[in-house]
Amino acid sequence: MTAGEPLIRWDWLASHAGEIGQRVGQHLELTVIAVAVGLIISFGLSLLALRIPRLYGPITWTTGILYTIPSLALFALLVPYTGLSLLTAEIGLVSYTLLILIRNIVAGVRGVPEEVREAARGMGYTDRQILWRVELPLALAVIFAGIRVATITTIGLVTVTALIGEGGMGYFITLGIQLFFSTALIVGALGSVLLAMLADASLVLVQRALTPWTHAR
Amino acid sequence: MAARRGATVELREVTKRYGETVAVDRLSFTAPAGRICVLIGPSGCGKTTSLRMVNRLIEPTSGEILIDGHNVLQEDPTELRRRIGYAIQQVGLFPHRTIGQNVATVPELLGWPAARIRARVDELLSLIGFEPARMRDRYPAQLSGGERQRVGVARAMAAEPPVMLMDEPFAAVDPIVRERLQNEFLQLQRAQGITVIFVTHDIDEAIKLGDRIAIMRAGRLVQYAPPAELLAHPADDFVARFVGSDRGLKRLALLTVGGAELDPPVDPSRLGGAPVLSPAMTLRDALSQMLASEAQVGMVRDGDNYLGVLTLSHIGRLLRSEQPT
Repeated sequence: MTAGEPLIRWDWLASHAGEIGQRVGQHLELTVIAVAVGLIISFGLSLLALRIPRLYGPITWTTGILYTIPSLALFALLVPYTGLSLLTAEIGLVSYTLLILIRNIVAGVRGVPEEVREAARGMGYTDRQILWRVELPLALAVIFAGIRVATITTIGLVTVTALIGEGGMGYFITLGIQLFFSTALIVGALGSVLLAMLADASLVLVQRALTPWTHAR
Repeated sequence: MAARRGATVELREVTKRYGETVAVDRLSFTAPAGRICVLIGPSGCGKTTSLRMVNRLIEPTSGEILIDGHNVLQEDPTELRRRIGYAIQQVGLFPHRTIGQNVATVPELLGWPAARIRARVDELLSLIGFEPARMRDRYPAQLSGGERQRVGVARAMAAEPPVMLMDEPFAAVDPIVRERLQNEFLQLQRAQGITVIFVTHDIDEAIKLGDRIAIMRAGRLVQYAPPAELLAHPADDFVARFVGSDRGLKRLALLTVGGAELDPPVDPSRLGGAPVLSPAMTLRDALSQMLASEAQVGMVRDGDNYLGVLTLSHIGRLLRSEQPT
């Protein structure tokens, strides 16, 4: 930052409004794809772990390792194979959602009270009907808690993908660092935080709409 | 008036083994159509295992279970369970479905038309003392424990099953609510003519609800008899201890003043503070009133009709005659 320059140059904000909007769109797109694909993969692996309980250990162990790889290192490892691309970004982002989502789906289904399952079986529900009509609806609150954490985490991580040419709000953060330009830095960081807060609030609303029984009084 | 007849349920030499352990050992009994058959015994005696074999939540190791002569082991378990009502102590209502949807569970599985389901749900809600319009759309979490138990029973009866299995369905509520639920259930059961197999560990509940009581011990049937017979002639010391040393009093609770031998009417002025008893009263209540009035006798009146005099020695004779020989 050069001396005498204000922390935020409002005229820069005004002249770059279009680009900021575009980057917000990209940020959301990267996030939605990552969480959606992560959810699909996690759902399949969770059903597998629920059906064959001894697979739960290896599945969480593997996704746990993925979760601990530093994001910067993971992207660097992938670039030689998948290039500076959306695919590279998404492989990284998706792999970070798996552990959280799988844990919550499995915990949510296992947390369904045994007497509810017992009553369902005793009245003639098939195993498939028990899963879709009883276990998954009742697990929804816990699954949503996982989706919220995965979404917030992903929104933060998207900024790192700026280093491989994606990035959403992360673009402004790298720009600010390279140019010692505080306005861009603040737009990028603050924008990412605001996106995370808004996304979380929307998910809470969706969850309330989907689980009316949890707040009926 | 029974709207429908329940089915006859017959167990023949039913055995369940878990490895070396025999949970149920050659159990045979017949629950007559439209009657309540109570399975009772100490914990671990195999009563719940026996119940759960009827709808094949547990598969018997050997033996046959017949419903109206058809072997349930040859039916598809899921189809079978939809035809048999099932109610358990923890109720297991679906928390995410409304009361109406919970009651509609089995009719929906059976593919009843929507209008018939709606009518049946409202009918059942009324039968258990709920105002359908007020309760239908509530969630289980909004109900009291007693209300949830009622819904559990209504849900089990929804598809008009010929047989119902009930595993301690009233055990989790306080005694006052339990008594009321038992009375309501008896009325419902009589009206619908359902055959019920009922598991409990509470001998008073067994005597009150059971047309037949099966006492089990260590997987075996020790005695199978109507309540009065069980109290009068326990098969062995185990049964005698299980029904309790007050079984004489329990037996009196099954008998009415009207059914007892009476002395001819005596001028009331000569009877001092004798209580007035009605023929419909149980002998146990009559005895209690006589003791409370410190009287040796009670005047039996049916409205204005003076029927006779009940004495302590009449009651004593009844108690003596029932002792095992």
